[in-house]
Amino acid sequence: MQHLLSMILFLPLLVAFTMGLLRVSIETLRMATFGSSLIVLLFAVVVAFYFHLDGGMQFVHNSPWISHYGINYSIGIDALSLLLLLLIALIMPLIFLAIWEEQRKGYFYNLLLLQTGVSGVVMAQDLILFYLFWESMLLPIFIMIGAYGYGMRHFNAMKIIIMTVLGSMSMLLAIIYLGYTHYATVGFWSFGLSDLTQLAFDSKTSILLAGAFLLAFAIKIPLFGFHTWMAPAYSSAPTAIVVVLSAIMAKLGVYGLYRFGFTLFEVPLGFYTPYVILLCLIGIVFYSIHAIMQRNLKRIFAFSSGAHLSLITLGLFMTNIYAWSGGMYLLATHAIASAGIFLMIGMLGRRTQDIQIAHLGGIASIAPRFAFFFAFFALAITGVPGTGGFVAELLIIIGAFKYHFWVGVVAATTMLGAILFIFWTLQRTLFGTTQEATKHFGDLSAIEIGILTPLVIILLVTGIFPSLLLDFLDASLSANLEAFKGGVK
Amino acid sequence: MIWDLYLVMPLALVFIGALFLMLFSLVKQVELTNYNLVTVAFLSVSLIIELIIFQNVEHDYLFETIFAKMFIVDKLSTLFNILFLSGAILTLLINNNYFKSRDYYNGEFFALLLFSIFGMMMLAHTNELITAFISIELASITLYVLVGYNHHSPKSSEAMLKYIILGSLAGVFFILGVALVYGVVGSTYLGDIYSYLIHHQNSDISLLVVGMMFMMVTLLFKIGAAPFHSWVVDVYIGSPFPVTMFMATTLKIAIFSILLRLFLVDFAPIYPLILEIIKVVAIATLLLGSLLAIAQTQLKGMLAASSIVHVGYMLMALYAIGVGSSFAASAIIFYLISYFLSALGAFGILSFLASDEEKRHLSFDDFKGFAHERPYMAAAMTIFMLSLAGFPSTIGFLGKFYIFMSVVETGEILLAGLGILIAFISIYYYFKLIALMYFYPSPNPKKRFPFAISTLLIVGVALMIVWGGIGTGLIPFVAGADGLLTIASEALKTIGK
Repeated sequence: MQHLLSMILFLPLLVAFTMGLLRVSIETLRMATFGSSLIVLLFAVVVAFYFHLDGGMQFVHNSPWISHYGINYSIGIDALSLLLLLLIALIMPLIFLAIWEEQRKGYFYNLLLLQTGVSGVVMAQDLILFYLFWESMLLPIFIMIGAYGYGMRHFNAMKIIIMTVLGSMSMLLAIIYLGYTHYATVGFWSFGLSDLTQLAFDSKTSILLAGAFLLAFAIKIPLFGFHTWMAPAYSSAPTAIVVVLSAIMAKLGVYGLYRFGFTLFEVPLGFYTPYVILLCLIGIVFYSIHAIMQRNLKRIFAFSSGAHLSLITLGLFMTNIYAWSGGMYLLATHAIASAGIFLMIGMLGRRTQDIQIAHLGGIASIAPRFAFFFAFFALAITGVPGTGGFVAELLIIIGAFKYHFWVGVVAATTMLGAILFIFWTLQRTLFGTTQEATKHFGDLSAIEIGILTPLVIILLVTGIFPSLLLDFLDASLSANLEAFKGGVK
Repeated sequence: MIWDLYLVMPLALVFIGALFLMLFSLVKQVELTNYNLVTVAFLSVSLIIELIIFQNVEHDYLFETIFAKMFIVDKLSTLFNILFLSGAILTLLINNNYFKSRDYYNGEFFALLLFSIFGMMMLAHTNELITAFISIELASITLYVLVGYNHHSPKSSEAMLKYIILGSLAGVFFILGVALVYGVVGSTYLGDIYSYLIHHQNSDISLLVVGMMFMMVTLLFKIGAAPFHSWVVDVYIGSPFPVTMFMATTLKIAIFSILLRLFLVDFAPIYPLILEIIKVVAIATLLLGSLLAIAQTQLKGMLAASSIVHVGYMLMALYAIGVGSSFAASAIIFYLISYFLSALGAFGILSFLASDEEKRHLSFDDFKGFAHERPYMAAAMTIFMLSLAGFPSTIGFLGKFYIFMSVVETGEILLAGLGILIAFISIYYYFKLIALMYFYPSPNPKKRFPFAISTLLIVGVALMIVWGGIGTGLIPFVAGADGLLTIASEALKTIGK
């Protein structure tokens, strides 16, 4: 029981290592990978089952790692971590199913390593441990974009790694400074999150430190101005990585902001709040307009992801309970919806070898099942009523109005912008006359429907019974919000 | 007396081995592999004794009745000797195939290598400046020969000439410095210089400081710090792979052994006078090294230039020692170990490739599609590159982390920030190689993993790097990330003033 989290964390790594050492055939590797992801999912469900809603940090495990500097292997989860862990555990098997036909072994090894990396990020309670996972999840993404991607993949792979590493390096400097300050003021080394929250800084230092953390997360999310890697990386990346980028990695940026930013730097983040809100608002409008202008399906949904993540970040910085629960809710539902849409774009790309909108059209008439699912996920992203996105966006917008009238107005344009470009995209992709590329478009197979159905069900359930997830998050969020507000006052 | 003999055993074994190989090399019928094995045998026995000595030595002098206090034996010198010996053993074994693939290697090569190691080991033990000079020159002169060992290649000879002229010129500064120091203090013992400085704090010591700065010039030249770094790239590219590997890893550690001893003991009273210089040198080394590394087209050149950057990090920590950081010295030793492992592995793969395919100058392009041709070797190379770049979960990250920690401890946040910026730049040139290996299709079909002593050692070094980065006390008796630091700080405690 106690080691359940460690097992979730290291099972994929262990499988990758053993399979690599035994030089197994692609069939064995495929089965082992899928099996391990299912076991992880099972473990994650067990963890969720034994999780107490109002218990704060749970399943905590501590063991010394580098005792000279008080660095511990310290993991644990609270409600939001658990939510993300479940998302990861759910999405990974679906990805493995989606790449079932893949013949290149590198896909499986890299995704296994990636799973360990992203799971580690949501569990780590020690800043150095967090940094380790935060960085190491980049490497598989880098290799997969460069090796299996499309277009200017080499350049784009280099771009994503250079930009994100810049952010992490600034965070590393801040972490080192935090750790040293703990030593200088308290008298012993520690990089544990709970220890470092006790520190007090003068306002200038804390603003700089918060800025260093913020940079890392802003690049990962990405906020407006830090987004130049986003569209190229999305359009170059293979399907599996696009799903991870949009459904998991971008969310980890928000998670990091919530877990480390808001816990460590209550006051100084207030200094940044107006700027971040401004960036988010610009981002919402800018990404929406860009999404309308794009000709490539992946780029459209890349920018749409950007717009929604800006909205989530906005919700986080509103610091009221509506916006926070809305933000976390959108985090989950958007992850599911965007995983669905990018998996479908991958399926589409396999059929047509082309995801330029101009070359598509008329799919609805020959592949109705495909059209149904595609339209469902696209609409779920815009947040039509009945899907989880609606509730979430509504909550954030309410929160935004509560913060300031005009912030609320601009935030509300997300829904408008999303409806504009989604409907236009749907019209050009699914309807109209068939083109050269879509003439022999095959409909979804049973396996593909099997991949997508769980996502559809989750989206519908979260949309129709929002209280399920909201109650789940509420206790932990209000506790943190109170702590946060207490810190500000 | 018996105790002294026991302590001198490792040194004596290497020396006897060198003499033996010199005579042995006259026998023409012996295969090259046998020379190699004999050399490794001598080194291994020496290493084992050294490992035992490390457990039970505190602070001793070798043959005090004969040499007075010229040779010190403490945990620090023993630790350094362990590093030299394991470095030499790994270099020889990893390059076993390479030696066979070239026709210019013979028995003398191994004798010269042993002499060089003997010089380095003496250097680690030295407690006196003239001995230090002799040891440095012994280690260097043999290396001059080794650099030019490929007598078919004009590049190799050119590298040798460059190295020999610049190296001896730099060596002269050391002896000049020693002369000046002797003129003031009247002794060349490290301890005497220290006590002179302590007792004459108010008198004029400018001549002494100038002398010490001259000595510093030589040492900075030998480790390849800016502004004395221009030889590094040319010499590294020109020398045969085993020699480059040996110079980049073992020689660098050897120079740091005396640098650390001098800096911790003798320079302690005059830190205020020299710290600014060290700081400027460190910053210049980091910046110029990075610039050089970005511009390289040959892999060997990139590794050579990046070795300059790594020296810059260690100089940063040296500066931190002066400002009063208590961890900086062990951070340097840890960094030396981490760099030693990573560079050894990286050069090892280069020499493995060069011995396999008759490629003389490995350019970046030769690595295109390497991952598809040899997945395990590519994975090992990736680990080495990540470790050199300081990516977490490798020992290289912890090495950098400790150094930045010690710099932050002194309050020099900006300097640490610069270090992190340089690490960020280095991501570019290390990841370029990873990108080449994985992003391009391979022109050749996939090959089986070649089971040989050299390749197994390379994989072993890669595993050690990962273990050093994440290892904990899970496996007893194997020093992980934590244990190495303990060993380093233990070794530093025994250094006497």
